[in-house]
Amino acid sequence: MEAKEVFDELKTILVARLKFDPRRAAEVAETTPLPKGVEGSIGLDSLDFIELSIAIEETFGVVLDESEELTAHFASFETLARFIVSRRAPA
Amino acid sequence: MQDRRAVVITGVGVVNAAMVGASPALGAWLARPRAAACVPVGGRPAARLPEATLAGLIDPAEARRLSRVCQLTIAGARMAVAESGIDPARGLGLVVGSELGDFTSTIAFADGYLARGASGLSALLFPNTVMNTMAATTAIAVASRELSLTLNVPGVAGELAVARGAAAVAGGRVDAVLAGGVDEIDPLVAEMLGALGDQAMRGEGATFLVLEAEATARARNAAVLGRIDGVAWRSLSARPWGVGRRAASRAIDEARARAGGAAPGWVYGSASGDTALSAWESRVLRAALGAELPAASLGGLLGQHGGLGALRVAAAAWTARSGLLPDDDGATSIRVSGPGLVHGLARGGGHVALMVRAA
Amino acid sequence: MRHVVVTGLGAVSPFGAGVKAYWAGLAAGACAIRPLTLFESDGFRCRIAAEVPELTAGSPRRSRADRLALGAALEAIDDAGLADADRAETALMVGAVGGGMLEAEEWYWARARGEHSAPGAALRAILPGSHAETLGHRLGLGGPRHTVVTACSSGAVALAEAAELIADGVVDMAVAGGVDGMTRMCFMGFNTLKLLDPEPCRPFDKDRRGMSIGEGAAFVVLEAAERARARGARIYAELAGHGMTTDAFHVTAPEPEGEGMARAMRAALAAAGVTAGAVGYVNAHGTATPQNDRIEARAIAQVFGEGRVLVSSTKSMIGHTMAAAGGLEAVATVLTLTQELIPPTATLVTPDPELTFDCVPRVAREAAVECAISNSFGFGGQNVTLLFRRA
Repeated sequence: MEAKEVFDELKTILVARLKFDPRRAAEVAETTPLPKGVEGSIGLDSLDFIELSIAIEETFGVVLDESEELTAHFASFETLARFIVSRRAPA
Repeated sequence: MQDRRAVVITGVGVVNAAMVGASPALGAWLARPRAAACVPVGGRPAARLPEATLAGLIDPAEARRLSRVCQLTIAGARMAVAESGIDPARGLGLVVGSELGDFTSTIAFADGYLARGASGLSALLFPNTVMNTMAATTAIAVASRELSLTLNVPGVAGELAVARGAAAVAGGRVDAVLAGGVDEIDPLVAEMLGALGDQAMRGEGATFLVLEAEATARARNAAVLGRIDGVAWRSLSARPWGVGRRAASRAIDEARARAGGAAPGWVYGSASGDTALSAWESRVLRAALGAELPAASLGGLLGQHGGLGALRVAAAAWTARSGLLPDDDGATSIRVSGPGLVHGLARGGGHVALMVRAA
Repeated sequence: MRHVVVTGLGAVSPFGAGVKAYWAGLAAGACAIRPLTLFESDGFRCRIAAEVPELTAGSPRRSRADRLALGAALEAIDDAGLADADRAETALMVGAVGGGMLEAEEWYWARARGEHSAPGAALRAILPGSHAETLGHRLGLGGPRHTVVTACSSGAVALAEAAELIADGVVDMAVAGGVDGMTRMCFMGFNTLKLLDPEPCRPFDKDRRGMSIGEGAAFVVLEAAERARARGARIYAELAGHGMTTDAFHVTAPEPEGEGMARAMRAALAAAGVTAGAVGYVNAHGTATPQNDRIEARAIAQVFGEGRVLVSSTKSMIGHTMAAAGGLEAVATVLTLTQELIPPTATLVTPDPELTFDCVPRVAREAAVECAISNSFGFGGQNVTLLFRRA
């Protein structure tokens, strides 16, 4: 799976799991930041990130280990998509 | 016993299928009450709020993270706070009454698991399955940091929340409280209530009142909409969901005693459409008040929900000001005077009485 | 305002039915957190809980949670020697969250399998308010009655509500407490939020990883002090004050500075008219989530000074019993005063070095304290502190 496909799936997750309005989800760019408090972000808080993690595990078949430091990967759609692609790549 | 402070109403916010707004909107509706449009839900007519109405009241970014019942609560609460002009930073408590809480989220959460197992569960939905989420989200929305209570009881949740809030102000525990009730309509719930014998027509929405110590309200030149002079709540003997037989009421006597022994000239009562409950309430009122007083219920017009009990208190303040008691059939109001009684009696015996008069 | 005393105790806990079994478990530092048996837990990271071993009260037709509540309430009323004549005037305050959800889940799960049945029987006790209706009717309690739903602080709020009614002279006696039975919703939900430890929870431990879920019920009889003395009642302790505040911060996460928690503790001290120095023991909310324990410890330090009070978490032994926690932990705190024994934080291996308190690791500690507080900090920032004083 390519980063672009992952990005499209993430937009679907925004609507289906995070309850974003479809038009709002369609507007996000790869560079849009995720966390609340960052300029131009879609404003996700801690509870949103838990929901997003569950959706990522289910949709992409990757396992997210809580003991790992994953914050940097969740900075933007771009960083997240690359992280997911790298996790899906055969070892 | 500590001196009890006088409690006044300084703001009202109402959201339901018939009206949305603060006390002017409520007053306009009470002057010419029109029944909310009903749709069939779970096999019975229910006064359901059109989706567009709620969408117009909450910002979409905020709405994303709020269940429908939380949106109703916040919409009503905000309008009440705005009308009162109170500054929550000076100390504002919150009491929310609800009969049913958030079944919609509870069912959706369970459905997620039944459809897809553990990974079908939604972290965003889970907090909504606990009934205090309406209070938790509203406290954030209006910055209320004093006491926060969510009260669950059949039938009288709204009346009880306002009574409890008024008692907190009267007893000097807090200077101002946002108190009210909320419920939404759900088909499974409608089915369940029917199976339990509760025949009242269902409605949905939220009504909130800002209650303040009279001294602090006057000191900040707040517009005072009415006074709550005495409140009491007790329980009459009845099976859960059942209707009782005893008519002797301590709650009405106590509320009147706290209001200086005043005799009410009119009543806003609970029962409507539920024949057995109506009959019980009539006996209780007659036993306590002696005569058959002019009475309004509004239940047949708006449908039973947690917000309705609180709306009756706001309506009582309007009646005390205007001297008009609305007719539940939508015909001409009747003229009344003096203080009135807001009376809540529920299946299971929940029993609340509030004495209301003009400021 | 009148003084309020505790004249009766009742408990059904993961250690079994009765206050005696409960205190025996606490004093021994036993841990009742074991593999879950009440329903399937496949696919969940945490599969353990603190279940009540056997239901002894109430008919099997009642919901599990109602049976827990009945057992505890009947014991408390009997313990207080509440006369039948008094019941009509006795208030009833119940803290609840799940209600009869377990039975409703079974009905709904069956429906999903195509086994339809009428909803009335399964759902009649589903609402949190149903315990008050059931107990009130069954026990003939005719005074003010209501149910508070404030998440994890519900049981404590119920005691505070009852104390206010008595202090204000509305009633002379009240039965107050909390109940929560094990439910799939709660168990699955906290698993989903990743707040549960797959092993028994370790409050205040350096390596703590989250909560354990428990179930149970506890009720106390509260009474106007003069009346209790006049009738020669056995007085366990005085409920001398309480504080109730709201974080208004986030729907699940606690406010990071613990300001609301500290405010609740200070309000309880002020209401009781005591200084921080008079408190010898804090029965912490202590859920063992990394966040709660850190923030609560910070708040305790702010109010009491570093290292000045003994602190332990009952949840290390019975898990987080949700709406029952405030009740069960109040009973534990009262018994701390009468038995002069502090229950331990039973599962503590390595105390978190950031914490400045003696968290009474593993073994109960003999100590006579003048005042003790019980903290319950609910989901959504609903903070309650109860302050008990020696009788």
